[in-house]
Amino acid sequence: MYEISSDENEFEDWFIESLKIYSNIHEYQLEHPTRVIEWTGEKNVCVAGYNLSKNEILELLLPLKLFADDNQGLCAERDFKVVHGGFTDGSIHCLKHIPGTRCVVTNDGSSSKLQVWDVGGDDCDVIKKTGDIHLKTASLDKGVKIDSPLTGNASVLHGSQVNDIQLTELTSGTPLYTLGTDIPDVLSSLRFVSGSVFLACSVNGDVYVGDTRSPSYLQKSPAGGREGNHWCMGVRADSSLPEPSSCSVARLSSSCQAVVSDLRNLKSPVCQAQLNVQRKTTSDEFLIVTWAPALDNCLAVSGFDGMVQIYNTASWRPELMEFQPIFIHRGHMMSDAHFDTSSSVVTTHVWHPSRPWTVLSAAGDGSVHVWDWVDNTTASSKSLA
Amino acid sequence: MPEIKVTPLGAGQDVGRSCILVSIGGKNIMLDCGMHMGYNDDRRFPDFSYITQQGRLTEFLDCVIISHFHLDHCGALPYMSEMVGYDGPIYMTHPTKAICPILLEDFRKITVDKKGETNFFTSQMIKDCMKKVIPLNLHQTVQVDDELEIKAYYAGHVLGAAMVQIKVGSESVVYTGDYNMTPDRHLGAAWIDKCRPDILISESTYATTIRDSKRCRERDFLKKVHETVERGGKVLIPVFALGRAQELCILLETFWERMNMKAPIYFSTGLTEKANHYYKLFITWTNQKIRKTFVQRNMFEFKHIKAFDRSYIDNPGPMVVFATPGMLHAGLSLQIFRKWAGNEKNMIIMPGYCVQGTIGHKILNGQKKLELENRQTVIPEYEPGWSLEVKLQVEYMSFSAHADAKGIMQLIRMAEPRNMLLVHGEAKKMEFLKDKIEQEFSINCFMPANGETSTVATNPSVPVDISLNLLKREMALGGPLPDPKKPRTIWRASLRLVSPEQALKELGLSEHQLRFTCRVQLQDAHSDSDTHIRIYTHLKSVLKGYTIQHLPDGTVMVESIVIKVSSSPEEPNTKVLLLSWSYQDEDLGSFLSTLLKKGLPAALSSM
Repeated sequence: MYEISSDENEFEDWFIESLKIYSNIHEYQLEHPTRVIEWTGEKNVCVAGYNLSKNEILELLLPLKLFADDNQGLCAERDFKVVHGGFTDGSIHCLKHIPGTRCVVTNDGSSSKLQVWDVGGDDCDVIKKTGDIHLKTASLDKGVKIDSPLTGNASVLHGSQVNDIQLTELTSGTPLYTLGTDIPDVLSSLRFVSGSVFLACSVNGDVYVGDTRSPSYLQKSPAGGREGNHWCMGVRADSSLPEPSSCSVARLSSSCQAVVSDLRNLKSPVCQAQLNVQRKTTSDEFLIVTWAPALDNCLAVSGFDGMVQIYNTASWRPELMEFQPIFIHRGHMMSDAHFDTSSSVVTTHVWHPSRPWTVLSAAGDGSVHVWDWVDNTTASSKSLA
Repeated sequence: MPEIKVTPLGAGQDVGRSCILVSIGGKNIMLDCGMHMGYNDDRRFPDFSYITQQGRLTEFLDCVIISHFHLDHCGALPYMSEMVGYDGPIYMTHPTKAICPILLEDFRKITVDKKGETNFFTSQMIKDCMKKVIPLNLHQTVQVDDELEIKAYYAGHVLGAAMVQIKVGSESVVYTGDYNMTPDRHLGAAWIDKCRPDILISESTYATTIRDSKRCRERDFLKKVHETVERGGKVLIPVFALGRAQELCILLETFWERMNMKAPIYFSTGLTEKANHYYKLFITWTNQKIRKTFVQRNMFEFKHIKAFDRSYIDNPGPMVVFATPGMLHAGLSLQIFRKWAGNEKNMIIMPGYCVQGTIGHKILNGQKKLELENRQTVIPEYEPGWSLEVKLQVEYMSFSAHADAKGIMQLIRMAEPRNMLLVHGEAKKMEFLKDKIEQEFSINCFMPANGETSTVATNPSVPVDISLNLLKREMALGGPLPDPKKPRTIWRASLRLVSPEQALKELGLSEHQLRFTCRVQLQDAHSDSDTHIRIYTHLKSVLKGYTIQHLPDGTVMVESIVIKVSSSPEEPNTKVLLLSWSYQDEDLGSFLSTLLKKGLPAALSSM
């Protein structure tokens, strides 16, 4: 046998470990990397490139084997299918699906213009742009954050700073709501928790609560002198309720702190943790924190390096302490071509809306992974032991 | 306008019956001749009526080329050559030629013996078909006839798979067959040079797929084997002799120790014998652009994998067995399956496609109870009324190496075709891909439906040599516009071939005729007319095969040469012959003047 390098050993270790820690894993290589993954259906996602000039938007069908469950053994189909595709003239930093439609809205991260696209149906596989929404914003060169209400007519909430948050009707471009404030703080996240209540997180960690039914309503919860110069937010609402009584808000900082609050009392955090992360990149642009929609107290973070880390917040405490993740996805660091563990940063990740342990993640080398991780910590785990 | 025509044969849009007709430079070529595995009637064969409504295909086809041994590319070949009728050459690589007849015979046995089909080819037809095969080597140009040449390129995918370039003059087409752009453990990636074909033909199904990585497929395989062995179960893996079996053996061997597995792994001896036989072919194939690491290891010297004996079937405890045949339709794999199927701790992993009618096909469709049908003549040792409950876990895993969307773009970059043509797709579902290819490469992308012809205009070039002086003179003349005083050789870089009359007319020149004359003096006392006759007779005897005439006015004509005789006014007995000829007959004219200067033979008699 020939000599195996230590890098190859590391890969083989991970490969063997993967037999136990994933119930399923699929790995794909796109021609160009994406920093967006957006669900457009139970089995479909949209991804898009972020080159400076021309890019592709693709709608992909997830492998049928993943959904075959009891019949998984008889289904050999492991590949992504490209079901729709289109071309953009610029970069795509933000992509949002409008619920109840076949529309997505995108933004290039350096202007305030939004592009509206029709993803298409069965009769044609081309994703076509149907229009632009030009926005009045305070800053002309920052990107815009986008979200869409969970119910109601097709409309999109957008903003680059707190003082230009606006809700626009999709088809007419008519503004339906503007937040009346002069706070110039730059936004990092924008999320609806119901048909009209939304949260806005600014880069300095302050969270604002607004309601599109009342323009004057705005509630602010400062970050309170916490460390870190860049914060982002992840929100988990029980979307079966019309008004959110319980809604978990997680804030993640560039110095690897996570703070969990409840919507009913944003000022006092429920718990917090210092995450066990060694930052490999100085850029904050890919930082993201998300809650698992179908699991309790489970949140995922990425954007510091080539890993996605999953934490269980049930054991976290109000005072700041260090905690270990319950799962780490290292697949993006284990490249076949080169075993360089420092190069690729995870650009984004999403949870499946209903399958509890299914996560999709993408990295700067063009890789997209779909994985079902095994939770070895709880009694209901699907582990092999 | 010269053009190339491409027609995928057969009805329906389904993949699974590759057979493409190409007309190029007056030649007709059939690319692949596959069977559609999903149909039981004539829809499984390509629609040859496009070539001719009745009768044999020989006079309509210049050659047939088969890309690889999968049945959806060669399954209809014996039907086409022996039942429809074709006696021309059939080209395929050496490994394809060796393996095709075995798969075709297996396929025939299953279809006729198990399913009772009658309109099917016989064993003898397979043999007769293979006699028409001319094997190809990689990168070697083969002259099919004076004008048509073909060349095979490495395609990866399976042993012996090739991409083929077809060339007539300066027009060419490249057909990819099935290929892959990423190497695996026993095959390399497809490769082609920048041959710039007029058309590159490929499958459209690849273009809309993004393939799951090889390591995830391998991980799934290892996981399933590991799980089964851990619970004390047995794993059966039915395989064809060569290809995936080696791939999976190398995989298990690599990780068995690291995973601390103690259970034995076996392969059946039938597998070894066949594999060693093909290995010799394989190794010459793999010497062309295959990974060095693979070539270094000896095929069946594994540390953890041993030869199987039938007596081990009943051994207790976990084990893994590779056995032939691959579709569970007969032999050892079926025998083992029968013994192990009733235990839910066991597992069977099917690494490939199974033809309808086989047990492999049935269990992959979820069938839990199998019964021996009346026509099971292939396994006479099993008693009628045999039935089996399938309790073991059935896993279908696809390991075949195919290109995907990214791979197609890589191949186009390699070959630089002028046009792209995709078969087996629905045009309305391929518009994005068409746009993508057109935008990135600025080439047209055609997508004919089955039975529909795409016509691609070509611009064949005629190479012309130009003398260095002419080229230098041309370059000395400056300026872009033509000047009548300074005629240009090349204007707007186009060259035409015209008749002299037309050239003179266009250039405004008049044609000149050049004639030579010469006088020859002869000592001859005869009369003028007698001398004429003597000259005529002499020339007729010397210049056989030439047109020689004696005209009433006394002229002798040899071809266009005129000979007139006159007496010398000053000297009696001296004749003066006036010879005249045009420039075109210079040689003959010179010859005649020399001949006549020697005088006429004395022995000539007057007629």
